[in-house]
Amino acid sequence: MSMSSNPVRQGLSLGAKHLVYALVAFVFVLPLWWAIVSSLRPNAEVFADIFPFTAKALLPSPASLEAYTGVFERGFGMIIANTLIVALITMAAGLVVNGAAGFAFAMFDFKGKKYILTAIIISFMLPFEAIALPLYTVTQQLGWLDNIAALIVPSIANGLAVFLFYQFFSQVPKDYAEAARLDGVSWINILLRIYVPLSMPTCISAALLLFIFQWEAFLWPLLAMPSQQFKVIQVGMAAFQQQYQTIWNQLFAVAVITALIPIALLLPLQRYYVQGLAGAGIKG
Amino acid sequence: MVGDAPPVDRMTNSRTPVLLIAALLAPALIGLVVFRLYPIALAAGDSFFNVLRGQRVFVGFDNYIALLTDSIFWNSLWVTLWFNLLINPIQIALALGLALLYVQQFKGVTFYRILFLIPIGVSLPTAVIIWRIMLSQDGLVNGVLGIAGVPAQPWLTAQSLALYSIIAIATWKGISYWMIFIIGGLQNISPEIYDAAKVDGVKPWQQLFYITIPLLRPTLLFVLVADVSINFLLFAPIFMLTQGGPADSTNVLMYEAYKSGFIFGDMGRAMAIIVVVVAILLVIVGLQFRLLSGKGAR
Repeated sequence: MSMSSNPVRQGLSLGAKHLVYALVAFVFVLPLWWAIVSSLRPNAEVFADIFPFTAKALLPSPASLEAYTGVFERGFGMIIANTLIVALITMAAGLVVNGAAGFAFAMFDFKGKKYILTAIIISFMLPFEAIALPLYTVTQQLGWLDNIAALIVPSIANGLAVFLFYQFFSQVPKDYAEAARLDGVSWINILLRIYVPLSMPTCISAALLLFIFQWEAFLWPLLAMPSQQFKVIQVGMAAFQQQYQTIWNQLFAVAVITALIPIALLLPLQRYYVQGLAGAGIKG
Repeated sequence: MVGDAPPVDRMTNSRTPVLLIAALLAPALIGLVVFRLYPIALAAGDSFFNVLRGQRVFVGFDNYIALLTDSIFWNSLWVTLWFNLLINPIQIALALGLALLYVQQFKGVTFYRILFLIPIGVSLPTAVIIWRIMLSQDGLVNGVLGIAGVPAQPWLTAQSLALYSIIAIATWKGISYWMIFIIGGLQNISPEIYDAAKVDGVKPWQQLFYITIPLLRPTLLFVLVADVSINFLLFAPIFMLTQGGPADSTNVLMYEAYKSGFIFGDMGRAMAIIVVVVAILLVIVGLQFRLLSGKGAR
């Protein structure tokens, strides 16, 4: 930005810039980095080199994968599979349900639309935690306690996802739909052939949103699955923490696995995720 | 805020396909009604009942009246309010700073941008597990502070520190997410305004306080509302780290409600607390919305 013509000053300010960014990035990366390093150490070595602190504390030596094999021997693979099932079904169903609602709000005018839309937006401003305890009673009435449906069905309809689709479909020029209608194309085909292909970026950000929501769910699975036969990852991790308090390297391995799966999804798709949510903030 | 929906076009007026609209909306609306609105009504209803020897007994406002003289509840309310008074301004200020860093353009910025997003992928329970070990007596934080000669601190087990440690963990986890919304707001500010300011010789800090922040107001208020809602109901870190302790110093209302309902089996009291929490939250959000729709909103 600076128009300064002095190359030395420019170099200095660039250096200072990198220093500031590196420090901030360090704070964000350090916990995960330390977790990765510690998960690769034998359990007795996890706290080595910390008192007094040396840079060796941040390097995985000696390294082994013993913690990871240990974690899977304790059945963590099953927990990952459970969570993937829950998250992927929610994602697929959520795209259809919320996409359809967003399309209806964007394309048609009908009585009470403004109120319904406002209600939907408020519903997503109110976090899941607010209704988790009473939702337990609803689930009990439906007979869904300890049933995987209790984890999936209440999370499919998502106000933020509806809003993302509504916002995107509103921006598509109406000429497309009008021309297709004149040619006698049905609304369903307009949605599937024109609007769905156009909305791929929104689909990606909504899919990530739904996936991460389920991947991170904690309080609700804790309440809805009281017998803990079917564990999802956050609850499994918390239980692991209580059960194996001092098997540090395995605790870290569990944490690393739990973090790396959504990060592996987010990093290549971050552009869509950031643009999708950033847009929601402006409109909201 | 729904007010700036695009003008709905003429063509749909004449032959609105009612059945189609109903079919498209039904799944989402049924979901929201059954799993969002009905539970709230149910909580309000259940808060007027108690279960005595397996029998559901209507007790009127007894659960609420009992809360009024319940010192544990008042302490919990105070902890919740104090916690929120600190964490929300801190998170929003840091998220704004982070967003300002994120949108700068220079060679190599993409690398930092990716690193700034890492906490979004780390769930709160994961962050809690890692930070719990980092903050333990012989953990990394005390080790690094030890270089500067700071004695080891009991971050999570001291009454005077536990709440602030939870604020730090939740802030580490949260600000990347709020940053994204603020980035959207920043990208929406026309660069010409900054060009004009530069011509007028406006200093960077003046630009921040007199141009950027006022123009970001709608976005910042949106983030404020959403952030307060989440922090008001924060549960996982307290459940996993302190169980409300030491000496109830981290016993937020959400945890007190959970304890009441699921540990002591007193669902009536739990629901009454939930109703109080949601009511307070709605009042706060309502106040914020009045600010949002005031001058400065688009």
